Amino acid sequence: MREERIIHGVVASVGTAVGKAVRTFDPLFVSFNFKLRPDQVRKEVERFRGSVEKSREQLKRMQSELRKNSGPESSFLIDAHLLVLQDRLFVDRIIEKVETDCINSEWAIQQVSDELFQAYDRLNDEYLRERRGDLDDIVRRLLHNLQSKPLPSFKKLPYDAILVGKLVPPSTLFELRSQRIVGLATETGSPLSHTAIMARSLEIPAIVGASELAEVASGDVLIVDGERGIVIWSPSDETVAQYKNRDRDGKKLKKKPATSVSAPSITEDSVQISLGANINFSEEVRAAAAQGCEFIGLYRTEFDFFREGKQPDEESLVADYSLVLKSAKGSPVTFRTIDVGIDQKSWDGVNMNLGVRGLRFCLENTDIFKKQLRSLYRASVHGPTRILLPFVSSVDDLDAAHAVIEEARRELQARRHRYDPNVPIGVMIETPAAAQTCDLMASLVDFFCLGTNDLIQYYLVVDRSDQSVVHLYNPFHPAILRCLQQVYTLLRPTGKPVTVCGEMAADPPSAAVLLGLGFTSLSVSLAAYSRIKRMIRSVSMSQLKDLAGEIMKMHKPKEVEEMVRAAVYRT
Amino acid sequence: MKQREVVIGHRLGIHARAAARLVQLSSQYQSTIVLFRSDSANTIEADARSILSILLLSAGFGSKVNVRAEGVDEDEAVEAISEYLTG
Repeated sequence: MREERIIHGVVASVGTAVGKAVRTFDPLFVSFNFKLRPDQVRKEVERFRGSVEKSREQLKRMQSELRKNSGPESSFLIDAHLLVLQDRLFVDRIIEKVETDCINSEWAIQQVSDELFQAYDRLNDEYLRERRGDLDDIVRRLLHNLQSKPLPSFKKLPYDAILVGKLVPPSTLFELRSQRIVGLATETGSPLSHTAIMARSLEIPAIVGASELAEVASGDVLIVDGERGIVIWSPSDETVAQYKNRDRDGKKLKKKPATSVSAPSITEDSVQISLGANINFSEEVRAAAAQGCEFIGLYRTEFDFFREGKQPDEESLVADYSLVLKSAKGSPVTFRTIDVGIDQKSWDGVNMNLGVRGLRFCLENTDIFKKQLRSLYRASVHGPTRILLPFVSSVDDLDAAHAVIEEARRELQARRHRYDPNVPIGVMIETPAAAQTCDLMASLVDFFCLGTNDLIQYYLVVDRSDQSVVHLYNPFHPAILRCLQQVYTLLRPTGKPVTVCGEMAADPPSAAVLLGLGFTSLSVSLAAYSRIKRMIRSVSMSQLKDLAGEIMKMHKPKEVEEMVRAAVYRT
Repeated sequence: MKQREVVIGHRLGIHARAAARLVQLSSQYQSTIVLFRSDSANTIEADARSILSILLLSAGFGSKVNVRAEGVDEDEAVEAISEYLTG
C-alpha cells in the first residue's frame, strides 16, 4: 500500500473534496496528413467550414446555459472562443493553406495552430500565455467535429471523481459538470486560467500547478483541499475519515434543525450570531449573496489584484470593487488590503513567513497601497465598505497606515472624487504581537478581525505547508485557547467589534469553542457556510460557555478536542 | 487614412475579455483598422478584428499603440477605438 503523500499546488477554487482520480489524457492530435487533388479542394474547404459552424453552435448552446446558471463572469470566455472561430488570422489562414497547399483540413489546422502556439509561448506575459489554453480548446473541438466524432464524454460515474490532467480545458470541465466530478487537479495552469474561472463558477474545488500529479493514475484516491492548496495522494484511512467527518458531521447536524438560506444564525437559546463569508475572488460574491450570507467578512483582495499578471490601474480597480459592492446587494464587504510579499506571487498562498508581508509590504510600496485605498474609497459610494489591514504588529504600524490613508483621502478630495468618509478601518489580529496588544490599538480603529490561521502558526511555530510538522497544528492547544480568551478579555471593555475569520471558525467543533469563549461574529468560506450555520442552530450558548470553562482547565489538545466533539455532535 | 497614438490606459485593454470587446467594437466600422506597437527591435502589427492578433500584440497597461484606420468611417473608427484603449 502506498504511503500518503502531500502534493503542493495553487488554490484555484476553494472547498474540499474526496474522490477517485479520473485522468483526462491530452488529446493526441494524430490525424492523417494527406495531399488533395485540386478538384477535391472545394469540398475540403466546405468540410472545414461545416466543422466551424458545428463548433459555433455547440459554443452558443454552452454560452446560453452558462448565462442562465452562472452569470456573465464565465460566459465571456465563450465569447473569446466564438471570436477565434471568426478570426481571419485563424480561419482564413487555414482555408488558405488547404487551398494553396492542397492539404486536408486537419493538417492545415495543425500547421496554423502550431505557429500561433509558438507565438504565444514567446510572449513575456504569464496572463497572455494562459490564453494558449483557449486556442488549444478550440483546436480540439474543431478536430473532433471534423471527424464527426462526438467529443469524448463520460458516462455518469459510479463514484465521486476528481478530474486530473496536465491541463483540463474549460469546456471539458463544463461539459462534465453533472457527472459526479467533485474536484479538479491539474499539473500545469494557474488561477488565471479560464478553467480556474470555470471551476469557481461551478463551485468545484480545484488545485492547479501541482506538477507532481503526473505520477497519479486513474483510480487512485485523492483529496483536493482548496483551503490549504494541497492534493493528498493515497490518503490514509485516518485522513479520509477526517475529511469525510467534516461532511458527515455536517450531515448529522443537518438532521437536527432545518436550515434554509433564510434561516437566521441563532442558537437554541436564542443568541444571535453574525455569520459572514470569506471570499478570494470577486466571482464568489454572487454565490455568497445567493446563500444568504449576512456580510462578506473577508475579501482577500490580492488574488484579484494580481489576476491579470500585472498591476491594475485605478479605474479598473474602482470598477471591480464597485461591482463587488453592487453584487453584495447592500451587505457590508470587508476588503482586506493586499497581503503578499513582493517576491511572492500572490496566489502562491502565504506560507509561514517572518519577512515583508501584509501591511509591511504596503508600507514599503505606498504607491500600490494608496492606489488600492483610493479605489476602495471611490467604490465605497456603492455600498457599505470596510477596510481591513493585515499583518499589523504594532501601534507604529497603525500610525503609519493611518498617515497613508489620510494622504489617499486628501488626493481624492483634490481630485474632487466622491467617497464615503466614514469607511470603518480595522486591524487583523494574526500576529502574537497584535494578540497581546489589541487593546492598545483599539482607540485607533473601528473593528477587528481575528485571523486564526496565521495566529496558530506563529503561536505554535508550525508551518502548515511543511508536512513534517503539520500534525502539530492544533486549534485546541491550550496556548491557543488562552490566547483567544486573552484577546476577548482585552477587547471587551473597548466595545470594538471582532469577527473571527480563520479556518477555526469553519470547522464546527473549533467554531463552537469560539462561541463559548464569547466570540459572536464568525466569517467562513462559502464551502463551510451552511455547516457552520447548522452547528450554530443546534447548540446552546449557555452550554458552550460551561464547556469553555471546562476546557480551559485541561492540559492536552487531544482531551480538549474529544470533549468538544462529544458536546457538539451529541448523539 | 487616419492615425493616432494612444497609451493603453485600460488594464484589460489587451486581455481576453477586453480584446473580445475590442473586436466587437472594431466590427461595427467598415474601415480597415490596424494597431501597431513598437518595441526596441521591431514593430508588431495587429488586425483589430482578429482576437488572436490583438492578444499577440501583447500591449500591456501603459504601452504606446498606434491606431490606424482607412475607409469611409475612418475618423469615427479611430476616435472610438482610441477612446476604448485609453480606458
